Order: sequence, then structure tokens, then C-alpha cells
Amino acid sequence: MSLAVHYKNFTESSFAQRITLRSGLAPAVVVLAAIPLIFVIYSSGQLSTGGWLSLWTQRLPELLWNTLTLSVLVAIGCFILGVSAAYWISRRDFVGRKLSIWLMVLPLTIPTYVFAYIYTSLLEDEGWLGQLWHFIFGAQSVVPELYNVLGVTFVLSLAGFSYVFLLVRGALSVSQREFEEVARLHGLNSFQVFWRVSLPLMRPAIAAGLALVVLHTLSDFGAVSMLRYQTFTLSIYMQMNGRDSYEAAAGLSLVLVFLSLTFLILERFFRNRQRYYGSGKTRHIQPKKATRLETIAIWFWLGLISIFSFILPLAWMLSWSWQALVDGLITSVFWGYVGNSLFISIAAATLTVIIGLPVALYHARKRSVLSQFYLHVSSVGFVLPGPVIALGILAFVLAVVPVIYGGFIVLLLAMTIRFLPLAIQAEESAAQQLTPSIEQAGRSLGATAWQNLRRVTLPIIRGGMMSAWVLVFIDTLKELPATFLLRPTGFDTLPVRIWIEASEEMLELAAPSALFLVIGTLPILWFLMREQTDKNR
Amino acid sequence: MSNITVLFSRLFKIFTVTILVASTVVYSGSVMSAGDSLVIYSGRSDKFVKPVVAAFTKASGIKVVIHTGSSTSLLNKLKLEKARTDADIFISNDAGNLQRGNTAGLFAPVTNKIAAAIKPQFRGKENNWLGLSARARVLVVNTKAKDTDFIQSVFDLADPRLEGKIAITHSSNESYIAGVTVYMLSAGKERTRAWLKGLKQNSKGRVYNKHRKIVKAVARGKKVVGLVNHYYIYRYLNKNPNAPIRILMPDQESEDGKPMGIAWNVAGAAITKHSKHKDLAMKFMAYVSSAEGQKIFAEVNREYPTRDDVPAASMLPPVGSFKVAPVSMYKLGEERNATIDLIESVGMP
Repeated sequence: MSLAVHYKNFTESSFAQRITLRSGLAPAVVVLAAIPLIFVIYSSGQLSTGGWLSLWTQRLPELLWNTLTLSVLVAIGCFILGVSAAYWISRRDFVGRKLSIWLMVLPLTIPTYVFAYIYTSLLEDEGWLGQLWHFIFGAQSVVPELYNVLGVTFVLSLAGFSYVFLLVRGALSVSQREFEEVARLHGLNSFQVFWRVSLPLMRPAIAAGLALVVLHTLSDFGAVSMLRYQTFTLSIYMQMNGRDSYEAAAGLSLVLVFLSLTFLILERFFRNRQRYYGSGKTRHIQPKKATRLETIAIWFWLGLISIFSFILPLAWMLSWSWQALVDGLITSVFWGYVGNSLFISIAAATLTVIIGLPVALYHARKRSVLSQFYLHVSSVGFVLPGPVIALGILAFVLAVVPVIYGGFIVLLLAMTIRFLPLAIQAEESAAQQLTPSIEQAGRSLGATAWQNLRRVTLPIIRGGMMSAWVLVFIDTLKELPATFLLRPTGFDTLPVRIWIEASEEMLELAAPSALFLVIGTLPILWFLMREQTDKNR
Repeated sequence: MSNITVLFSRLFKIFTVTILVASTVVYSGSVMSAGDSLVIYSGRSDKFVKPVVAAFTKASGIKVVIHTGSSTSLLNKLKLEKARTDADIFISNDAGNLQRGNTAGLFAPVTNKIAAAIKPQFRGKENNWLGLSARARVLVVNTKAKDTDFIQSVFDLADPRLEGKIAITHSSNESYIAGVTVYMLSAGKERTRAWLKGLKQNSKGRVYNKHRKIVKAVARGKKVVGLVNHYYIYRYLNKNPNAPIRILMPDQESEDGKPMGIAWNVAGAAITKHSKHKDLAMKFMAYVSSAEGQKIFAEVNREYPTRDDVPAASMLPPVGSFKVAPVSMYKLGEERNATIDLIESVGMP
């Protein structure tokens, strides 16, 4: 009898919890995340037929072509750099392997606009690379410029290949060795093994990495605007800043949203079709000891990659920061920018991780069409360009809660919405380890909903939450366009200062800020890498 | 169990750090933007604005917070913010934005006494904005290049002989748009459209994001001729006195004897309508339009002062020695959208 009552109470309370926590909280977060999208749909609804027509005929064909070519080229670039590095590092043991892993991840600390800025200044006639070029090819030769599709591809590939590297390496270090051994036994040479066995096994990870790269390319603002390459994002920004109405910008944004969503759905479709299952007994692959020749070849290639993707930019930052230090330009004002940047990044990371949790848990438990829909809608931040997100939030705040306008909270809201997808993704993949029986066991042992969350659920997905925090922290630290529009008066962050100084060609003022972004990200990155190696062990 | 303790001690740490940092920054932020300082939305480069602001603070003791951005986006921000704005002063690098702000009713007039110091053609109709420094849209020509004698007008940039030889900036540059407005109003829409098509052809889709780089490209012989604001040429010559470039004041002569004249533009400032420190803002406007303030603009950036009694830098062609297209500054704002439509219809990058 008493047991039955207890059971009844349990199911009822669990039902109540379902209403408040799962069915209530998750949609609330999704609505919050959808604010910019609602703005875009509303504003583009204001666009007249004539407006659409002129967009369609005059702007779209060129923008579509430019954006798609760039995405394909950047994907190819990141594929070559990321996969080659990941394959060698996880399959061969060579001197300095640990260092090489770091070198492949470090470019993540440099934002795209800093890459673009550094390389344009290096390639000027009196820049380091410009001088080198003249030394090799003669004083009359023309140094190549970055103001074209190849230049932008170069910059975005260097800035993005680390995502592919990280994901593919993660996949390679757990993939089963049997497949490769069997292929070997059947007489395939090592290239054939790579091409016909290892590569297909890596496909899901490569797809996920390239998807990340393409989404970054579609919404990149910094590099394309520094290099004046007309993509959707730059054109949207120019529409916003050229005219006093935002309708055309909203129209273009809507097209971009469709483009990105199509891409996301395609990517998911192909990834779902490629699932590989191994036997239960998986052995981690012990990398083979590299021969001396292999070591030289590997280091030549990895060295080349990291010279361009990290060492050269770092040297540039150090040299100009030194100049700034000598000139006494690093004052308390500079440390104020550092403080602002750290503050917003810590606050945004913490808030985003908390807000993302309900949606991630909801999807992990339900796996329904509705939860999938929530997931898609809350990835708006990844699909819309930063300036548009900022504008949507601005319009929302001024129309609905004008009291908070101008305050720090608006900027925080923007960062949260922009980087929510990162947090949800990381948390959701961690939450997949949660089998319903674990949570049910907790409840049947008499834990309240809150106790269950605190003592069962959270500890299990702790790692995922930590990675989510780190990812959001890094991206907020580098965020430029939304911060530019929404920062409280006089609240300059490091990216904002880099942008201002760079547009005035004050190299010695831009460099210390860029350097500090790298330094500020390092401990966080170290933490992320440690988590990854722990997992792989 | 220990896992949970660790997790919570970590979460707690993060929480504490956040609170700590938050309170410090909020505190320092509240000190920084304390109620009694003057807030400027500045669409000009910091390096032009800071010297005059520093001089103003030194002379008046009034603290200033500068919020930097692009003129157009700051104007849009003002428009959205309405009465909630923090801004007391709006500084624009272009007359077009000042006039647009005026039309949208965002500004408050300065006193007649302050306005009287500035030449009438360089200020808004109801003294709602003041032009503080003027610039000429000119050509920079490489002196070593051959066959450049035919270049007399900006319209010559579309000449097929200059294919691949011209350097221009991108179409969202405010100076560029203002220049096209002047040409459009002086020479007509169709001629300007044809000209833009020629520019697109001759620049081969490659535009420069900085005027400084245009001058440099011409000086290095990569391009023959470029379209820039006059002071970029002198800034380059100041650093490289022997560079093979010269300034060419375009449209001073024509076959019909009625040349168009050069396009002229001003950078300026206005007091915002919703400023909470109108008295401080008025003091700032008085300072920047005084002889003392004007001299700083003339010296720092080699622009033309907008007061009669302050001379321009000595190397510049003096005002009056060249013909200026008779387009009023406020037209740059009124015709701005029409100009952008025209540029977009040609599809310039």
C-alpha cells in the first residue's frame, strides 16, 4: 500500500517536473534564441516586391557565386591541412609529437580579422614577406595580393583547419585498428589503406569538421571585410551601414539563413547514412615509430603549416608589441580593454552553458521531431551573421524591454544567443551518455528532481559542460561585429580596439591587443586539450 | 561523491570569479562613464579626434568619453536609441550623414554666435550641424607614367586607355559616395552611370580598402592614377618626399568653358537632440569652431579649416585658387540613397 502511494507520488512529481523543466524551460530558451530570426523575417517582410526583385537580379547571382566558391575552396584548404596533419600525428610516433599537436591547435587563438590584417601588412612591399619576395624574385616583381578569392581562402583556411584537425584526430585515436590490419593482410599498400579504409572511416569526423568550417566561412565578417571580398555577410553589413533602412539587409540575411539551413540538413543527412560499428573490443591504436626519413617529411609539412598558421603571425605580434612597449603605449587604458574582454567572455560563457542545458537535455532524452526542431532553431546564432544578430537584439530590446538598453546585459544577451549552438552541441553530445535508466534509478531511490540533476545528471555531463564553457569563452573573446554595435558607451574590448587601430593603420597599437587574445586563450586551450587526452586514454 | 564535491567547488569558483570580475568592471565602468562627462559618438579616426579632444579637456577641464565607430552605423544607432542615447555629440567624417541626421530630427542647433564663425556653406541650414574641416576629392598621378596628359577630369578615369591603371576605393566609403553624389548632380545620372561602368571595367574589380594604399600604389607605379581625398597625398609626401606623385585638381578646365569643379566635402559635428549635457556640448562646439580648435584640424590632418581666419597648411593649394562644384553640403545627405542605388545598379564592389 505505502509502496503504491510512493510510486504514485513519484510518477506524478516526475510528470510535474517534465512540465516545468523539460517542456517549459527548453522552449523558453528556444524562443530567446529565435529573436534575431524573428527580426529578420519581420524586416524582410517589409521589403517591397520591387526591392526583392532588384536584390534578386542585381546582388544575388554574384553574392551566391562568391559565397559558394569561397566555402568550397576553404573546405578544400582545411581538408588538406587538417586531415593530413591529423593522420600523421595519430598514426606515427615521432620526435616532438606533443608539440606538433599544440602547433596545430594554436591557430584557433587568432581571429580571422587578425590573420587578414597581419598577412596584408606582411605582404606589403616593405613587409617581411614582401621583402622576401623581392629578394627571391627581383625588385621589379609584383608581390601577390590577398584581395581576391584565393587570398581570402588562404586566410580562412589557416584560421579554420584546426577544427578539422581536432575532430579527425579525435576520431582516429578511437577508430578500430582491425580494419586497417585486415586491409594490410590482403595486400594493400599504405596509401591504399589510407585511401580505401582510413579515409572512409574518418568521413563522419571530416564531415563534422568541414561543416563547422563552412558555417564559420558563411558567417565570417572580419576577414572578408578586411579583404573586401563580397560575400553575403559583407554585403549585408554594407546594406546596413549604407542606408537608413534595414530591409534589404534583412532580405539578404533571410537568403543566407536558407542557404545555411540547407547545408546543415544536407550535412546531417549524409552523416546519418554513414555509421560504422566495430566489435566491442576496441583497441586504441598505438602509433608506429616513425623512421628518420618519415620524421623529416612529417616535420617539413607540419612545420610549413605552423609557420604560416601561427609562428609568423606570432612573431609579427611580438615584434610590434615590443615596439609598443618601448614607445610606452601599453598603459592602464590597455589593461582596461583586457579587463572588459575577460569580463564579457567569462560572463557569456557561464550564462550560455547554463542556458543551453535545458535544450541539450531535452533532446538527449526525447530525440523527437520537436526536440530536433528546437535544436535547429537554437542554432540560429551560427547561421546568421554577427551584425544581423546584434541588430535583431537591438530592435527587440528597444521595442520590448527598453529599460535594459545601453547596459551590459544587452551585450551579454547577444553573445549568449550567438554562441548558444556551440554550448548546446557540446552538452548534447555529452548528454548522450545519459541512459534513462541511470536517471530513473536515482529517482526511484528517492532523490528529488533537483537532487537528481545535481548528483546524477550534472556529474555525468560535466566534461561536456566544461568544453562548452571553453568554446564559448574563446569565441566571445574574439567576437567583433555584435560587440561593436551593442557595447555600452565607451566599453571597448580587445577585438574592438584591434579593429579601430587596424583601420587607422596603427600596427603598434593593434599588435598588443592581438597578442593578448592569444595569451588569454592559452590556459583555456590547455584545459580543453587535457580533457581530450584524458578521454582518449 | 567526491566527484560532485569537485564539480561544485569548481562551479562555485567560476561563480565567485564571475561575480568578482563583474562587480569590479561594473564599478570601474560606472566610474568611467560617470554622469558628468561628455559622450562623443565619433565616426572619424581616433587619431584626428583625440588631439582636439585632449586640447578641449585641457582647456575646459571637461572629461570626454569617445565611442568610436563608422559614421553611418553610429547615426543609425542614434536613430534607434532616440531619447535613450548616451551621446551628447555626434562627429561625422562626412556631410551626408550630418544632413541625414538633421533631416531625421536627431540634432539640436548651436547658438548663432558659435555658428557665425563657420562659413555658411559649411554648416547645416538651421545651424543644426557645423562643418569643422573640409577636403577636396582630387586625383593623384604618377609623374613617371607616360601618356597621362589627357587626364583632366575625374570622368577621364573611365577612359579605355586607363584599363587596369586606376586605383579607387570601395563603394561603401563615405568620401567616395559623397564624390559620386556631386558628379551625379553636376553631370547627370546617365553620364555618371556610364562613368561608373567605365570605372568598373578599368579597376577590373580590384578596389582598395584604404585611401593610403591608393596613394602608395600610384607612388610605386603599380597604378597610374588614383581618386583620393587631398590630404592622403600630402601625408604620403611628408613621409616620402621624393615619391614620384603629384596632385591633380580635376575638372578645372573643359572644352565648353564650364568645368564642373572639384567635389568638396566636410567632416563635422552636431549636438544630439537628447543630450543630457547640452551646456557641456555647447562648450565643445564652441571650442572646435574656435580659431584654436580649427588650427588643430588644419595641422593634424592638413585639412581646410572652415573658418576664414585660420589658414590651411602652407603646402596646400589655397582656397579660391581652384573651382569647386557648386553642390551644397546638405545635398550630400539628401541624395545619398539615390547615389547608392546608382552605384549598386552598376554593381561596383
